[in-house]
Amino acid sequence: MESLITAAARALEAGDPLGALNRVALRNDAPSLALRGIAMAQLGDLAKAKSLLRSAARAFGPREAVARARCVVAEAEIALVSRDLSWPVKTLAAARATLDRHGDLANAAHAGHIEARRLLLLGRVDEAEHALAELITSPLPPASQVVRELVIAGIAIRRLRTKDARAALDRAARAARLAGIPALAAEVESANLVLDTPAARLIARGEEHPLLLGQVEALGASSALVVDMFHHTVRMGGIVVSLGTRPVLFALARSLAQAWPADVSREALMAAAFRARHVDESHRARLRVEIGRLRAKLKPLAGVSATKQGFSLTPRKTRDVVVLARPVEEKHATVLALLSDGEPWSSSALALALATSARTVQRALEELARSNKVQSFGHGRARRWMTPPVPGFPTGLLLPGPFLKT
Amino acid sequence: MKRSAAEIVREYGPFAGVEAVHGVTYDGKHVWFASGDKLNAIDPADGKIARSIDIAAHAGTAFDGRHLFQIAEDRIQKIDAATGKVLGTIPSPGGGGDSGLAWAEGSLWVGQYRERKIHQVDPETGKVLRTIESKRFVTGVTWVDGELWHGTWENEESDVRRIDPETGKVLEQLDLPAGTMVSGLESDGGDRFFCGGGDRGNVRAVRRPRRS
Repeated sequence: MESLITAAARALEAGDPLGALNRVALRNDAPSLALRGIAMAQLGDLAKAKSLLRSAARAFGPREAVARARCVVAEAEIALVSRDLSWPVKTLAAARATLDRHGDLANAAHAGHIEARRLLLLGRVDEAEHALAELITSPLPPASQVVRELVIAGIAIRRLRTKDARAALDRAARAARLAGIPALAAEVESANLVLDTPAARLIARGEEHPLLLGQVEALGASSALVVDMFHHTVRMGGIVVSLGTRPVLFALARSLAQAWPADVSREALMAAAFRARHVDESHRARLRVEIGRLRAKLKPLAGVSATKQGFSLTPRKTRDVVVLARPVEEKHATVLALLSDGEPWSSSALALALATSARTVQRALEELARSNKVQSFGHGRARRWMTPPVPGFPTGLLLPGPFLKT
Repeated sequence: MKRSAAEIVREYGPFAGVEAVHGVTYDGKHVWFASGDKLNAIDPADGKIARSIDIAAHAGTAFDGRHLFQIAEDRIQKIDAATGKVLGTIPSPGGGGDSGLAWAEGSLWVGQYRERKIHQVDPETGKVLRTIESKRFVTGVTWVDGELWHGTWENEESDVRRIDPETGKVLEQLDLPAGTMVSGLESDGGDRFFCGGGDRGNVRAVRRPRRS
């Protein structure tokens, strides 16, 4: 094998991108371009990395199909990390098939992991799980095992299966130690934090408690009636009433649940649902209509009874009513609530769902994006917004070292 | 040109801790192979690693009867085979794009992988004495009985071929099975070639065709 390429690839594998660059910085042959691209990616210059990998793929002739496919996979990973989710998945699938056909199973698996991470990012959890199940998993180099376990953990977290998530993260930590790449170990560590940081707030009978992800999971299995601020739903047992596109009804449900077993005055309900400063007769009429709608929606779970001064919730078959809220009340909570279904939303769809102007939604999204609470991909009309599926995961660039051995 | 399928006589390895084989040579008793940060000697009779030298070993390996030569990054190291000490260093002709290495007739022969060239080099000064063009990426070089053989790897295919040292014309070609890589080549002086197996981390013995 080529001497300096071997030396540079070994440096990359050991998590030393600068050492790799030292060896191939001035060379412009195809393998050097590819190694430089991967090193730049590891150093965080994704734009430069992308263009280097493109040139490398071009420089590898058609007779070097495997090397070319590896460049495509690396470029796909860069696209994933830069949240360019419109990057052509078909190209990635073709590269994976080439690697599979030529027996480069480790990099073929890596391509599959990128596809699964992309699906997870898009909130398509079932498809991510399916993509992962399709891959040949043994024997994988430790770095690839870390990625695989991180994806499994991500899926488990999304499904609120904290035990599975913890087991996967433990396996990931072991593999990261074997791989000896500090960036990977840090990635696992930060994914672990998700499980040990309060993920939500529980409001019940006027009191608030922080909840870990595992406790949120336990709540799902309890008999309590839960008003879920994350998903804009009201649920109990297996019955889920989605109010994602009915913000007024949801605001009323939340006010009633928070006050339960006490009632809530008409004025307070109108303030919460309509944000009205001066209440007039038309608001009272509207409240009657909306309460009627809420009653119909909640029928399988609870009744809404009129009291002397307002309304109160009368849950069926349970003695517990709680509100599951975000750890910190957000200024743009309603926008976040819609986005937290993990689906990509257009700003016009959000405006529609929130019954507000597109401009208002735009402003909220831009503000949230500045604090990294939401992210977008695509441009112009095709632009879509979403929340990161699990905080901080998967964010890192996990390009493995053994990328360009031959 | 005679062309036939390579007859693989025996496989050595994979070996624990060896991710890839980058170069191969033979000292009459042991087969040496380069594995990145080590030179390893295997006994061809039992296939076990008998000895290792900790030294950067990124590409071709050769033996001149007393010394091992090993390409590391962009230079060729001359190593005392008995002690493992580096006795001298010359620049490699391909500036790091080097691949195979062989010793013959007082010269080093260095493959330059992507340039598809084989250089004859003065082992004292590193001066390029002449250059032979090949048609394929060169991965390993060896001389036996006045025949120049080299390994190739291109289009996910490898073969071992004998070329005319004057013209570079291919005289004979042994094709390895698809996906089997030759990453280093050495003759045992008899009817065997030792071929490095690239990132499979193994070494194969391939039969050298008899002259009729």
